[in-house]
Amino acid sequence: MLRSQVLLIALLAGLALYLFRLRTTPRDRLMYVVMVGLAVPLVLFPDASNVVAHALRIGRGADLVFYLFIIFSLFHFATTASRIRQLERQLTSLVQDRALAAPELPTDQRAPNA
Amino acid sequence: MNLPPANGPGDWPRRVERHTFHRMSDAATVWIVIPALNEARTIGGVVAPLRAQGWRVVVIDDGSRDATAAAARAAGAFVLRHSLNLGQGAGLRTGFAFVRRQPGARVVVTYDADGQHQPESVAALLDTLERTGSDVALGSRFLDGTARREVPAARRTLLRLATLFTRMTTGLCVTDAHNGLRAFTLEATARLRLTHNRMAHASEILGEIARLGLRYAEAPVTIRYTEYSMAKGQRPLDALAILWDIFTAGLR
Repeated sequence: MLRSQVLLIALLAGLALYLFRLRTTPRDRLMYVVMVGLAVPLVLFPDASNVVAHALRIGRGADLVFYLFIIFSLFHFATTASRIRQLERQLTSLVQDRALAAPELPTDQRAPNA
Repeated sequence: MNLPPANGPGDWPRRVERHTFHRMSDAATVWIVIPALNEARTIGGVVAPLRAQGWRVVVIDDGSRDATAAAARAAGAFVLRHSLNLGQGAGLRTGFAFVRRQPGARVVVTYDADGQHQPESVAALLDTLERTGSDVALGSRFLDGTARREVPAARRTLLRLATLFTRMTTGLCVTDAHNGLRAFTLEATARLRLTHNRMAHASEILGEIARLGLRYAEAPVTIRYTEYSMAKGQRPLDALAILWDIFTAGLR
């Protein structure tokens, strides 16, 4: 296997490990900071991506940036999905509490205090 | 606790029968939980025969836009309303929480609103629960030969795959993984940790039974496949949605 393939598969496996086991909100923020931190030097020194890509035996710098973009997208998708799940859980307990607070009796039963 | 009456003054009871719950003949201790979405046409006909057996019924109106709640109440059911549609799994959890607040409740039965389940099946579940002393009785449409033929071929194949998946992931030896008919002792419902709002709750319940080591037994039940219940029920592609829910539930 190529060096680049090993690296990318390891990155994906690490991402999965992070998303399913290690995620916390502060660490997420750190990840975003690291990614922006990677982006700025690439903007300032466009040739740097080529140098790193060649070292990894990836054809062009643009390819390397594209791979990193995919991994970043997966990360962003999963954190968003997780956030949505969390909101859904909160909404669920809210709706359930409301339902339990106001049970409606069968029509033929007189409501208490009515 | 229902100890038999002492034989007379100074007599020791000869043998104390151990019951995990009151006898099923005491129908008022049995609560049937029915999540319903837009079932105004059928819910009355589903609730009434259950009430006729003396069982208590609570319908969870899961954000219906029709008169489901009124029809259910008219047929003799308690109604809890979800202000938003949350899904069947959430409906069952709301129902469990409600029944746990009812004095005298001992058994909870889960039941579908679309008319595919029969009151005789509830009797079979209660009988199994009592006879085996289990914590959970699970309905299976594949236990006896007569029921098997009723299940449409495509549905049967899909259910067989789901059952295989369940056996592999939970180690439970069940014959029907996605049957909505179940009976729980009240104590068992209190221990279940359920989170899935939608259809993945069926797998989740089995997973919890395995995790908690609950005693379970299967009871033969008949599912009536009508055009209406097939249209309301699960479609084959929903299996992917269930797998998706189970997979993403692991995300932190």
